Amino acid sequence: MASISATFVGFGASVNLSVRTDNQIIGKSSSLVSFGLPRTGGFPSIRTSRLQICAAKPETLEKVSAIVRKQLALTPETELTPQTKFTELGADSLDTVEIVMGLEEEFDISVEEENSEIITTIQEAADLIDKLVEKKA
Amino acid sequence: MRIGFTKMKLDCYQRTFAHSSSSLTPIQLPAHLETHLWYVKPSEVKNESLLKQYLDILSPRERENVMQMRGEELRKSALLARTLVRTTIARYQINSQINPRSLKFRKNIHGKPEVDWQFSNDSLPPPLHFNISHTSSLVACGVTVDSQIGIDVEEKHRSIKHTVLSFARRYFSKHEIQFLASITDPQVQKLEFIKLWTLKEAYVKALGKGFSGAPFKTFTIRFKEDSIHQASEIVVDSFDEPTELTSNWQFSLLELANSHYAAICTEKHAASAEGKRNVPTKLTVWKTIPFVVDECVSGTDAVKTIYG
Repeated sequence: MASISATFVGFGASVNLSVRTDNQIIGKSSSLVSFGLPRTGGFPSIRTSRLQICAAKPETLEKVSAIVRKQLALTPETELTPQTKFTELGADSLDTVEIVMGLEEEFDISVEEENSEIITTIQEAADLIDKLVEKKA
Repeated sequence: MRIGFTKMKLDCYQRTFAHSSSSLTPIQLPAHLETHLWYVKPSEVKNESLLKQYLDILSPRERENVMQMRGEELRKSALLARTLVRTTIARYQINSQINPRSLKFRKNIHGKPEVDWQFSNDSLPPPLHFNISHTSSLVACGVTVDSQIGIDVEEKHRSIKHTVLSFARRYFSKHEIQFLASITDPQVQKLEFIKLWTLKEAYVKALGKGFSGAPFKTFTIRFKEDSIHQASEIVVDSFDEPTELTSNWQFSLLELANSHYAAICTEKHAASAEGKRNVPTKLTVWKTIPFVVDECVSGTDAVKTIYG
């Protein structure tokens, strides 16, 4: 499976995400980089390929990663992928709950308790967030 | 019935190692109304060959999960958690000697782990119940017979990123928010918050439903006062399911090793479920390094009962 490393610089933090080309996540590197209507601060968005179902936006993944890093006090060397499980990083139930709170604050959404079980990885968190944000709009 | 105190001299433990459960001190199952609690402190387990021995008793899946943890300390506490569960259950030598490696586990419909006893269909599964909890600095396993159990341990001074009240407003019930808001000293408020958190976690784990199955806002844990206004009992009121006999559950709250709060929630039995008198559960606590040393710490400074 091809592996691409993308470096996103934004929000005052530098986050390294490894993006793999499988159906779960963001599209191939050959996707168009389109300068469409600015969503946040006018930075470019990478169009996702149609193959992906429930693919979270790169900026969502980035924000989620930043919140997880802060909550778990991770060192910059700790590599995060969308598939990284919070438990692998040492998050216990209190940490997970705080991560959810942090995400709710950041994205102005409300996560039902019943959904907290499905937020176990960065990808799952980002997918749910995008879904909830879309519902709000 | 206190179990004696066996201790191998640390300087010769390497020679007295055995790669079998015979080096686990056998112990009798807890009685009805009795709870056993075993804990291990990862900082006290340093020997590499001992850790390898622990790795060896895990299932392949468990080993995989341990190795996926990011960082040596996290791997060690994950390893000790599985080791503690397997060796603890193996001590009870139900029917015959059990090799900790041979134990199999499964999850109930809500995802709560339980033993998948490998006896023939004729024999009834032993009525042993267990639950574990771990922080990076302490791993604990509670055991009961004929009674569901949930435990939670937290570092007393663990940091939280949000304020106590914003956390409580988001997750706790109205009564609990009021309780915490009424505490003026922020340090005391934080400690009471951690205690309440461990009690709530222990309850949902005892129910077997976990956090998402029994949202924290749907029940209140409070301290019932006796006639002289001393907190005498921890009780739970459930809003969503008033028919769920919440008087079925009893709680203990301890301070372990001066560093952690441990909450234990177990099912009350029919005899005391009427709640006429709170029949205290007998609790026995061991500090252990599996295969090396077991120390009964009940009644010592390592175990301070807060409630229960």
